[in-house]
Amino acid sequence: MNQMWENLFRKSDAIEELQSILKSCYIFQDLSRKELSFVKELIHVRHYKNGEAVFKQGEIGVGMYIIGRGTVDIMVEDALIDSDEPTHVTRLSGGDFLGELSLVEENSRRSATALSVGDSMMIGFFRPDLEEIIERNPSTGAKICFRLSQVLGRRLKGTSEKVTELKKQMKLIAER
Amino acid sequence: MTQFTRNRQLKLYNFIRLMSFLGVIASVLFLIVKVENLLVASLLAFVISYLLGPFVNSLERLGINRLLAVSFTFIGVSALLGVVVSSFLPLIANQLGLLKAEFPKYAEGLTQLIAESEQRFGDMAGSYFAIDFSEQVEAALSPWTTALFEDLPGFITKSVTTLLLAPFIAFFMIKDGKVFSRNLLNLVPNSIFETTLSLYHQINDQMGHFVRARLLEAVFVGVLTWAGLVIIDFPYATILALFAALTNLIPYVGPIIGAIPALAISIINGDTTFGLFLVSGVYFTVQLIDAAFIIPLVVAKIVDLHPITVVVSIIAGAQVLGVVGMLISIPVASILKVTFTSVYKHLTDYRSI
Repeated sequence: MNQMWENLFRKSDAIEELQSILKSCYIFQDLSRKELSFVKELIHVRHYKNGEAVFKQGEIGVGMYIIGRGTVDIMVEDALIDSDEPTHVTRLSGGDFLGELSLVEENSRRSATALSVGDSMMIGFFRPDLEEIIERNPSTGAKICFRLSQVLGRRLKGTSEKVTELKKQMKLIAER
Repeated sequence: MTQFTRNRQLKLYNFIRLMSFLGVIASVLFLIVKVENLLVASLLAFVISYLLGPFVNSLERLGINRLLAVSFTFIGVSALLGVVVSSFLPLIANQLGLLKAEFPKYAEGLTQLIAESEQRFGDMAGSYFAIDFSEQVEAALSPWTTALFEDLPGFITKSVTTLLLAPFIAFFMIKDGKVFSRNLLNLVPNSIFETTLSLYHQINDQMGHFVRARLLEAVFVGVLTWAGLVIIDFPYATILALFAALTNLIPYVGPIIGAIPALAISIINGDTTFGLFLVSGVYFTVQLIDAAFIIPLVVAKIVDLHPITVVVSIIAGAQVLGVVGMLISIPVASILKVTFTSVYKHLTDYRSI
């Protein structure tokens, strides 16, 4: 009997944990508790071993991942750098998310490799899941898409700033 | 732990997960094929869930809870079916009764027609090519004629189990199908997870389009055939239209099979050339409307299969499962085409296996 209650509480703890991970993610922050519970029914919980790839550079991606537990290294193989070893770009941890461009872009190729550091738990949120949310609950879908466009807009702005900075530096080098 | 040992353990772990996933799918398929009535009931349940799924989603969009949305849809559709069946059943029963009474006449007429054709062929080709097809047809038709009408009530009684089981399975497919598929996808190894998910949704979408488009096309063909036959005052319009709608589900050969009974009745009844022309005209016009308007508007989205693939699939389906096999051969061929195309695309584009 005790075991039954323990299992029941463990299950409800897991549900609470998922809901709080989703709530902490920027993309789902506008959602109400009811809407989060609806999204929770559609997402995919994935577990990764130490050194296992979440996705690899060049593969076609179908969606994004939110880090629930553990850390993930982002590595890039750059053809311009004369090295066989991939370059370490950044390390992401709990609450961070990655691969969000694949949610909106058809046949989008992953621009980097994501490797699990130690055992990790990720929440996968994919294009078919987003499409189903839009189909079944359009207002929730709109809230997610609005936040997603903010993230993508911010990324675009960051990239534009970097390109401008690079152009300035190239001009300086040319003048010298 | 070295990188090499870690990779080997990971490969073993992924292999076990893949085998568990395939094992669960194989067990479910085995159960469906082995348990009596479950195969047809499951196929019907899939058809019902693809048909009613969009209605349930529309109700959910209005803010209705999914369980209530599924329940309302099923209650509404059952009521509508009840009204349609109770209105058409006396008419169909009446036409079936008439056909039963006149069937020996038609069977005899058909045998006579074949015998006459044989005679003519024999006169033209000489005794070397003499064939005796009419006796074989007669021998096959007489027991079949009695069996068709005598076995019909028994067949309907047997089908009740399937007809009750199918909506029951469909109800839970629409309500909890997502949970089931998500739990199944949980078993897929991480390295092929995104491809499998993408593949699953592609197949699901294609099948949804296929079922909805084909059934809508069948309804159009049935209604148009019925209207045409009623206009030219042809007997058994309702039964013949139902038969044409059902056979229209079989691509390419279905429409021809659908027209045969009406043409046979017309010839045996001794209709004039003009009468025969009118009946053929109805079926031809319906197929023309189907090809010009219904197919481009409704069916264009479904999987494009080569005519040879279609014919081979139908023959293979008929060999394995008879009439049911003929009807399900095209969806199965479409599933295989989508699966192989996607797996090939994965092997060439994803390069992650």
